[in-house]
Amino acid sequence: MPAFLRSQMRNIAPFVTLIALLVFFGVASPSFATLDNAANILTQISVAGVIAVGLTFVILCAEIDLSVAAVANATGIVVAYFTQQENYVNIANVPLPGIVAIGLALLACAFLGLVNAIGVTAIGIPSFIMTLAMMQIGAGICALLVRGQIAYAVPDFVAKMGAGSIGPIPWIVIVLAVFLLAGHIVLTYTRFGRYVYMTGGNREAAEYSGVNVKLVLGAVMVISGVCSGVAGMLGVAHFGSAQQNEFDGYLLDAIAAVVVGGTSLFGGRGGIGNTIIGLLILGVLNNGLDHVEIDSFLKILIRGLILLVALIINVYVQAVRESEQSN
Amino acid sequence: MSDASSAASGETPARLAMSGISKSFGGVAALRDVDFVLRAGEIHGLVGENGAGKSTLMKIIAGVHTQYQGRMRLDGHPVHFRSTRDALAAGIGMVHQELSVVPDLSVAENVYLGKQPTRGGIVDWRAMVEGAREHLASLGIDADPRARMGSLAIGLQQLIELARVLFSGARIVILDEPTSALSPPEVQRLFEVLRGVKASGRSIVFISHFLDDVLAVSDTVTIFRNGRRIVSEPAAGVDKAWVIERMIGRGHEELEESYTGNITLDSKPQAPVVLAVRGLGAGRAFADVSLDIRAGEVLGIYGFMGCGVIELARALFGKLKPRTGTLAIDSKTVRLANTAAARRAGIAFVPESRRSMLFYREPVYKNMSIAVLGRIGRLWLRPSAERDIARRHAEALSIRPPAVDTLLQSLSGGNQQKVALAKWLTWPPKVLVLSEPTRGMDVGAKDDVVGIVRGLRDRGLAVVVMSTEPETVLSLADRIVVMKKGRIVREFAGEAVSKDRLLEAA
Repeated sequence: MPAFLRSQMRNIAPFVTLIALLVFFGVASPSFATLDNAANILTQISVAGVIAVGLTFVILCAEIDLSVAAVANATGIVVAYFTQQENYVNIANVPLPGIVAIGLALLACAFLGLVNAIGVTAIGIPSFIMTLAMMQIGAGICALLVRGQIAYAVPDFVAKMGAGSIGPIPWIVIVLAVFLLAGHIVLTYTRFGRYVYMTGGNREAAEYSGVNVKLVLGAVMVISGVCSGVAGMLGVAHFGSAQQNEFDGYLLDAIAAVVVGGTSLFGGRGGIGNTIIGLLILGVLNNGLDHVEIDSFLKILIRGLILLVALIINVYVQAVRESEQSN
Repeated sequence: MSDASSAASGETPARLAMSGISKSFGGVAALRDVDFVLRAGEIHGLVGENGAGKSTLMKIIAGVHTQYQGRMRLDGHPVHFRSTRDALAAGIGMVHQELSVVPDLSVAENVYLGKQPTRGGIVDWRAMVEGAREHLASLGIDADPRARMGSLAIGLQQLIELARVLFSGARIVILDEPTSALSPPEVQRLFEVLRGVKASGRSIVFISHFLDDVLAVSDTVTIFRNGRRIVSEPAAGVDKAWVIERMIGRGHEELEESYTGNITLDSKPQAPVVLAVRGLGAGRAFADVSLDIRAGEVLGIYGFMGCGVIELARALFGKLKPRTGTLAIDSKTVRLANTAAARRAGIAFVPESRRSMLFYREPVYKNMSIAVLGRIGRLWLRPSAERDIARRHAEALSIRPPAVDTLLQSLSGGNQQKVALAKWLTWPPKVLVLSEPTRGMDVGAKDDVVGIVRGLRDRGLAVVVMSTEPETVLSLADRIVVMKKGRIVREFAGEAVSKDRLLEAA
């Protein structure tokens, strides 16, 4: 393999996968390759996509956040909790003006992210374990606030962003685009973004260059919390309800999107561009499998296998790099 | 002791005889035609500078290096170990400078590591504790077999590791720098145990930089230099100066690097103190370190491996938090919470390992700009400015190739080292701390680094150079302090100094 191709394998492999999936489903199903369905796919990846933006920062630092789905769920429930629900909803909620409810929900997710940050940096708990605990805490907050019930109302602005559209374009897709763009700009053009890459690339060297590594790690955990929270509010509006365990599938989707896109699990390589490709692969796969005649139970297995292949490529690319480095 | 035992060693047969041993790594000879004889019931001291070949020889004996030329006979039988397991089975054990004990297990479990006595498939705890107690007592080691290993002092842990190695059947024990972390009473206790081991007919190889310790306990001393065995002598008949003279080989070889002659230090006692270190201490690593680091002066700190100088460097850069003492910059006390605080305070640090200070998969310019990004732009990156700065450094330090978009990993080691230096030079710090700045470099690159450091000093920077190689300190420093076991033991300022005086002080 030529050196250039090998060095770009991390970016090429996901792209080729995406094209192959598009071609396959386009040929296999006449209903797949339509403009309507493209809008469908983009809408379907939006919630996971906003989560994945924050997660990209975390994984670039060679850390992980397993609490994203739980934080999203908790934030969605918090914003509903502070909104006037219909009479038939049996939740002791605290109605507040929409803007205050949104503010409190954002504070909540930032706070949960901050707890993760403190656990990982100041106390030194591995992020894998710390965010596992936060996953449970988030689930606990959800359970306490709704007590097995379902809330429906969210502030108007949230409802519009999550479920409304401007012309033919759903607002939720625009929000996703804004988050992806903002994430890309921060990672590529700001000093903080460089610190994220350098901290992920060689944490010790970043520290010996006078970078406040703990501050960087803490910041990415908070960013991940806030992105998850925003995704949670959008999701609650999009689904039209706020209840427990609503976001459980999004943890895997968000991690899969980042990793399938080619961002290195070992940190320092990848970015929002990779995450976009990863999101599209996941979206096309989920959507396309609905358009072809296939056992719906088999779909789950296929998703698992695709993720496994992506992980193998991810780790393999790293191994190739390291062997080149040591030569 | 020495009279009787050295006489004995003359009569006793060779336990281990090596002849014509040569070994090279990638074309560089580490051992050249070495003969070495270890007798039964002797303590054999092995001395030489870093890279003289003593560790390589011991690794051949211990089965770590399996490819070599020459012959080895154990008790008269030819042997060639294929692995460390082979060597262990033949009765050769090693105690490394970094202990390999399990701190969370008990003393008894450590003694019996990997071979616990069992009864019906279940560990027989009572037999283990009693066995360990007996074994330790027979060596004169006073330790509770039930105590947790990690709760004991390092000196005692070391003795227990020695006990384990003997217990596993070793008839030859190689001790690598056994006294570097020990206090004087602990050293005496170790020596008593070693003499007991010797009396039981087993042989000990004692590798150390601490010549006083080697001469105090050894029956025979063997000196290595540049991969050759220079001489073996009964320890009773020689003194430290005699040993040092043969270790560094007074001007016979590699003149330009040996610094055997006197160098007069051009210290500047009048220059303003930039960084004042007072009573700094951190656990076992170092204690009560007080230093004045002056503008326009290079302070060299010399000491053996494990003397605490590596930890001291980290404490000066906020990476390691000292337990006692203060740091003051320009007479203002500073607390360094982390490395970012140290950088803001005007301290720069280049650690000894390039791997821990460079980003191999990033281009050269990103490696250079990382420490000064905040000065180039608060929020936004300015890659063109970064590249300009990097190009300036690449030219000033003659970094090859000069293309700043090259990935760092494709540069040679010397050029990588220059990049590591360059990252601090755009806005020069007040204090530059360099740990092993020339380790592993060829002569040309070394000269370049010496030139760069002198240039910075002449611009008024305060520079600290820390090294375990006397040449590095002698070639760079205007003033030298010597560290030994975590304390400063000697200062050379404005006077003549030479390699043997440094070695003697350490």
